Amino acid sequence: MNSQKEDLDLRLKLEPVKCIACGVCEMVCSMHRDSVLTPMTSSIILHIEDKANYFGLVLKTKSEGLVLGRPEGASSGQQASGSGGPGAKPILLREACDLCDGHPKCAKICPTKCITVVD
Amino acid sequence: MNLRNGKIGIIDLSTGESSEEDFAGDVLTEGVPRELLEKHGPDSIVLGTGLLTGSLIPASCVGTLTTGRHTMPILGHAGIELKLTGFDFLVLKGKASNWGYIWIRDGIMEFVEMPESPQLNSWQRTEKIRSDQGDSKIQVLSGGPWCDAGSPAAQLVVDHWGGEDKVGMGAEFGKRNLAAVAFRGMGELEVADPEAHFEKSVALMRGHLSRLALNKGLQSYYEGAAVDDFVSLAHRYIGCYGCPYPCRSYLKTEEDPKEMRLMHKEPGYLHYDIPALEMATKVGLSPRDATRVLVRCARAGAEPVAVMAAALASSAHPDVVSIDALLARHDDIRPASKGNFELSFPALKDYETCLGLGLCPRYWAKVGFDIGAISSCAESALGHKLM
Repeated sequence: MNSQKEDLDLRLKLEPVKCIACGVCEMVCSMHRDSVLTPMTSSIILHIEDKANYFGLVLKTKSEGLVLGRPEGASSGQQASGSGGPGAKPILLREACDLCDGHPKCAKICPTKCITVVD
Repeated sequence: MNLRNGKIGIIDLSTGESSEEDFAGDVLTEGVPRELLEKHGPDSIVLGTGLLTGSLIPASCVGTLTTGRHTMPILGHAGIELKLTGFDFLVLKGKASNWGYIWIRDGIMEFVEMPESPQLNSWQRTEKIRSDQGDSKIQVLSGGPWCDAGSPAAQLVVDHWGGEDKVGMGAEFGKRNLAAVAFRGMGELEVADPEAHFEKSVALMRGHLSRLALNKGLQSYYEGAAVDDFVSLAHRYIGCYGCPYPCRSYLKTEEDPKEMRLMHKEPGYLHYDIPALEMATKVGLSPRDATRVLVRCARAGAEPVAVMAAALASSAHPDVVSIDALLARHDDIRPASKGNFELSFPALKDYETCLGLGLCPRYWAKVGFDIGAISSCAESALGHKLM
């Protein structure tokens, strides 16, 4: 699923079945924005239903709205309405992915290539 | 203070009153819980996070729970969530007069009464706490009936799964009328040089992965998970926070392991308890039945090695039904002495150092515990040398 097309002609591609839920994508995304480690301001959110081992990613993009990286497949064009919990900053209020100025950190640190950059 | 909150939370279970102390610590966790036990009383329980917990260093996922002479690691996403609550350490003192749980978030800790908890198993407690507090990402260290009864073979579960508590910590909760400890981390950690820390951590991780074979979950750490009957039930592998090479394999026994949609609410179990699987093999259980036994033990808050050893002592061929019956007899089952993560390194000192740093001992034993490489990464986050 090609999730985003920016002026830089780069896109993030999600292959959610490769995700291992390590969560570093959230941390480096927030660090890119605020220079601190936290999952609270990231454009990408890890969703986990732990008892059922159901997990995937939600990515907020500028051009395609939300991209849902469900284990059964990715889809785009969703409206931003979910949240990371009552105290967490809702995805609606978070900034959309800016591709880290052309060098997406989430893709670089993702150990399984669940998130990759494509032209 | 980089990678630290600078705060210790203290709560007296007998009164519900909480207080705070400053923590001036760019120091390893190792040693701090003991100091806190000396200060606040040897019967206290200390939750802690490692110096590097929550950093970008691979597998920096570890928190700890200490009481008396024993410490258990806290893995999954619980260690980092604990650090992001705003506390570096938490001290639980005394005994509650009524059953309840500790709820920690946003620099706040409180005791919440849950009088119905003795009627709930560990999974039901986790679900209830998440439902009551309205957040499915809350991390829960939960006891079950065995813990409530103070059984020496009790085991805490971390978000439904067992494997960390091989030291009877569950009974310590039960003795204090403590049904669970729950926390949600929404804070942040400062980093000295974010770009350098990112680049060094990525390089370190890539170096590790280049030396390792393709990850196959628990099979990559334990050859017993390579048998066909285990592999055929494997659904997905899942890592703790920041772990690029997970040791956790989820087996589905109640629906097709290839089912990727969210269907059955409780389709299986997350395996990372190697001694439990070794004992299941010794007992003669198939991976499918072993999974079902571990589900039952986790719900009961019972340490599965002890349960299966007792089953083997009473029957030449125990099965799920007979082991299930044993779970009603928590008083006369002796604890097992074999650790899980404790056995990652030949030397206990390396294990303790790993916990002090907030790093997973299983992962770092696998890739080689290179303190020099860790120090280089840590320096970029801390702003000074590690030691």
